[in-house]
Amino acid sequence: MTAKRLRVFALLAISMIFLLAWAFPILWSVLNSLKTDSDVLAYPPKLVFAPTWEAYRDVLFGSGSILPNLLSSVIISVGTTIVTMLMAVPAAYALARLRFRGKKFAGFYVLATQMLPPVGIIIPYFLVLRNIGWIDTYQGIILIYLSFSLPFAIWLLVSYFEDIPFEMEEAAYLDGASRLKTLWRIIIPQVRGGIAVTVVFVFLNAWNEFLFAVVLSGNTVRPVTVAMFNFVSVEQTLWAKLAAVSVLAMLPVVVLGVVAQKHIVKGLTVGAVKGGGRR
Amino acid sequence: MSGQGQVSFRNIVKLHGQFAALKNVNFDIKPGEFFALLGPSGSGKSTTLRILAGLDAPTTGRVMIDDKDVTSTDARDRDIAMVFQSYALYPHMTVAENIAFPLEMAKLPKSEIAPAVKDAARKVKIDHLLDRKPGQLSGGQQQRCALARAIVRKARLFLLDEPLSNLDAKLRLETRAELKKLQRSLGVTAVYVTHDQEEAMTLADRMAVFMSGEIQQVGTPAEVFARPNSIDIAGFIGNPPMNLVPARYVDGDVIIAGHRLKTTATTAVERDVVVGLRPGALRMTEGGLGARVDLIEDLGDTAVLDLDCAGTMIRMRVADGNIPGEGDTISITARPQDIHLFDPATRMRL
Ligand SMILES: Nc1ncnc2c1ncn2[C@@H]1O[C@H](COP(=O)(O)OP(=O)(O)OP(=O)(O)O)[C@@H](O)[C@H]1O
Ligand SMILES: [Mg+2]
Repeated sequence: MTAKRLRVFALLAISMIFLLAWAFPILWSVLNSLKTDSDVLAYPPKLVFAPTWEAYRDVLFGSGSILPNLLSSVIISVGTTIVTMLMAVPAAYALARLRFRGKKFAGFYVLATQMLPPVGIIIPYFLVLRNIGWIDTYQGIILIYLSFSLPFAIWLLVSYFEDIPFEMEEAAYLDGASRLKTLWRIIIPQVRGGIAVTVVFVFLNAWNEFLFAVVLSGNTVRPVTVAMFNFVSVEQTLWAKLAAVSVLAMLPVVVLGVVAQKHIVKGLTVGAVKGGGRR
Repeated sequence: MSGQGQVSFRNIVKLHGQFAALKNVNFDIKPGEFFALLGPSGSGKSTTLRILAGLDAPTTGRVMIDDKDVTSTDARDRDIAMVFQSYALYPHMTVAENIAFPLEMAKLPKSEIAPAVKDAARKVKIDHLLDRKPGQLSGGQQQRCALARAIVRKARLFLLDEPLSNLDAKLRLETRAELKKLQRSLGVTAVYVTHDQEEAMTLADRMAVFMSGEIQQVGTPAEVFARPNSIDIAGFIGNPPMNLVPARYVDGDVIIAGHRLKTTATTAVERDVVVGLRPGALRMTEGGLGARVDLIEDLGDTAVLDLDCAGTMIRMRVADGNIPGEGDTISITARPQDIHLFDPATRMRL
């Protein structure tokens, strides 16, 4: 009895350590976002302090409001996600199902694009966008994001499509459904877990992207990741504001995670057990 | 029903690369018939069914349905319903939605779909399960759901690929009988794939026996049982199947292990043959072919004896009352009309 208790206690302690390590940056951001700039820099760090919304008020409604940047991020991320999914779902279906010349090569190519180090292609991308006049435009950034998210999404989705037995589709054809109807009514409902997982990943990648955004954006299109950088300069870092923006930028991600959680867990565990594909 | 469901296969060949899954297959199915495609695993039954359904295209040859060439018609335009071996139920839909799906695709009004779904479900006795998802059904219930989805549309052709093979033995027997009744009452043409000769014998009006990509015989179960066309069919039909024994034909007699038996089957010259003997056609007699009883399989009402006739294994079915003991020596014979002759070289009936 006591041995069992001890084990539970040990497990609990270990979990707490992991949780703390994982949660520390978030806790740090939340705490600092509620401090004044002088409290942030106090040494030793204050755990007890008078919380203030000042940092939030400043970053949201002050002179350098990040509201337009949040909007920029939303447009970029949502746009990237929608376009990616519209193209990735049919493409993944085709890769999983249809037999065509060069299918193996297409599959490899999709994966190979994921192997390039991003830094290596920033300059070419910049030059291409500048030549077509798409620097600092939504379509420009979304186009560049697509070049990463699309292969990734296709690659992720293909395995979900491949899990659906071919006979299911043939049954639908014999039942009088067209290929498109079959895709829409029979296939997609069964891969919705995979689609949810993909949407979350694509959205997150676009939302958190910094490297390309900082090079390819400008004054009109400036996502929140880039705007955040304004709070860091050579002379000083505005820690409280930086923390407040981080917390704000985290919110949509958290909301998306909670909404999609049910599907994600399903999407991740389907196929893990025998008959797991059934719903 | 938009047609009667008459089917003709004309010189159908199906190649997978170099491998010929079907080598020139021909058969005709009459409207309303229960037609079985019987054969061992890999003989091309499913391939034939899939070509008929339009899921695969033949390499050469024509498929005719109701006198129309449908070889290049899409599966969805052939007006064919099919039950897959895996059932292929749509897991995200309820039983009712599954059954309704073909009607929805046919753009039937909602007011007609609901009663039709109820009716089909009642016919296969799953009308109390309409709100369940396929994952919540037993194997037998899933099979019925697949059946209901196939019959709800009143298609002209009803294809079944080993629909009973995933059921346990008892349920298989029950469902077999119900399937036959259902097909009779619907009056629809059914094409039924099975590797179980007993299933084909009991269900089919006529059957085609497949052997490695070819049809070796088409006929009623009784015809095929009475006069198998080849050694392969003889060794496949019946439980246990025909004994196939090397022998010599001499002038109206066959000589098996030194013993002469009269036969009505004839061939022109004295020659080596393979003799086919049904286990049930053998009888014990005085002064017949001597045999030692090696093993007795008691089946309750009958028993199957494994006999050793001078090194040749022969199986014999005997009624309950007169089972000899293991190790006994008995003497057996068969009526002249029960002795089948096959050519050992061509493997065909003589
Ligand atoms: N896509 C394919 N490529 C190559 N060979 C194939 C292909 N599909 C089927 N075959 C071969 O064709 C032959 C016939 O297959 P088929 O599925 O028709 O057999 P079957 O009679 O239905 O057998 P079973 O009772 O095992 O289902 C088999 O030898 C199989 O290996
Ligand atoms: Mg088969």
